[in-house]
Amino acid sequence: MAIDGTKIVHAVMEGSRIRESKGIIPLFGVYLSLFSVHYYNRLSFDFEKKIGPSREAEAESLLIKAAQECGYATFQGIRNSWEWDEIVQPMIDRKEDQIMGFAAVATAFGWGHLAVQKLIPNERLVLRVNDSYEAEGYLKDFGQALKGKCYMLRGVAGAFMDLIYGEDYPGGCFTFLAAEPVCRAKGDSYCEFIARKSPY
Amino acid sequence: MPPFDWKRDLDRHDHRVVLSGQPITIHCHHYNINLQRTLEETMGAEGVRLIYRAAEEATYHDLKTMLATYREMRTIKSKMEMAAIIYQNCGLGVIHPMDINNDGGKIVSSSSHHVTGWLAKHGKRQSPGCHFSRGWIAGALEAVCDRPIGHYKVTETQCKMMRDEECIFQVEVR
Repeated sequence: MAIDGTKIVHAVMEGSRIRESKGIIPLFGVYLSLFSVHYYNRLSFDFEKKIGPSREAEAESLLIKAAQECGYATFQGIRNSWEWDEIVQPMIDRKEDQIMGFAAVATAFGWGHLAVQKLIPNERLVLRVNDSYEAEGYLKDFGQALKGKCYMLRGVAGAFMDLIYGEDYPGGCFTFLAAEPVCRAKGDSYCEFIARKSPY
Repeated sequence: MPPFDWKRDLDRHDHRVVLSGQPITIHCHHYNINLQRTLEETMGAEGVRLIYRAAEEATYHDLKTMLATYREMRTIKSKMEMAAIIYQNCGLGVIHPMDINNDGGKIVSSSSHHVTGWLAKHGKRQSPGCHFSRGWIAGALEAVCDRPIGHYKVTETQCKMMRDEECIFQVEVR
C-alpha cells in the first residue's frame, strides 16, 4: 500500500493542537515545539558566519551532525509511537516504506515537501525537497549561495537511511552521510539530497 | 481572556505551517537541545547570545504581527496573557508574568519544552540554561510594550535545568 501523506499531515496538525496543562506537546513519542522558521535559520546561518570563514566547514559539519543525531533519535521515537502504529504502520508493506512515512512526517512538520526519488536498498537514497525553509530562508536573507545550505535536512536524510539499514538503534547513527548537490539556495529549482554509506 | 483562536490561526499554506500567517516549523526536543548544546560547546558565551538574540528577534517580529490583528487588546497585562497562551500553545511551556510593566518585572515558568528536553537528554545542569526562553521573553515584552529589540535584558535567576523548583526570569531595561 502506498503511504498516504495526507493522513500523516492531518494527524500532526490535529495532534499539535492538543496541549497538556504544562504546555508540552508529546506526540509521536517526542516533545514537539512550534516556532518561527526565522529562529532556526538565524541560529544556523549566524553560527556559520560568526565562527568565521576558516572554520566554516566545521560549522557545517557540526550542524549536520546535530541534525543527524536528532533525526536518528526523533524518527526512532516516531516509529515506535502508538500514533505511528495507528496511522502509518497499516500503510507499510516493506521496511523501505518507512522512509516514505518518515518523509511524510517531515513534510507535516513544515520542513518542506519531501519526496523519495530513488532508493537503492542499503546503498543510496535520493530525496527531493521543495520549499525547504532553510534554503528559502538563506536565499531571502543572504542571496544566492555557493553551496547547499540545508544542513538540517542533510542530517535528516542520512538519519533516514541509518534507521533502516544501520545497526539496531542506537548503534547505527552515521552509517550513512548525505550530500546536497542541488539546492534552492544556489538558485536550483529544488533541493536534492543523496545519502550514501559513510566511508568513515 | 484574549480572543486568540488557536484552531483558526494554526494552519497550512501548501507545504508550509503557519501561525497567524507567520511561517513556523515543528521540531522536537532532540533537535532543539542538540542545537543549544552545539552552540554552547563550540562558541561558549557567544553561542548563548546567539540563541537569545535569535529567539528575541523571531518572537518580536511574529508577536508584533499577531498583536496588530488583535487591536482590542490594549493593556500590557492582556497582551502578555496572549503571549503566554501562544507560548503554551506552541508547546514551549508555561509562563506566568508577575508584576510586568514598561520597566520590566518578573516572570516565573513552571514548565518548559527546553527544560523537559534538556533533563531528558542530559540531566541536571550546573548553570541556568533557558537561553531560548530568556530571548523569547525579551522579544515578547518588547513587542507588547512597543520597545525596540534589545531594550530589555532578561536574566534567569533560578532554573529547573539545575533542579530548582521553578525557572525565574528577571526583566529590566538595559
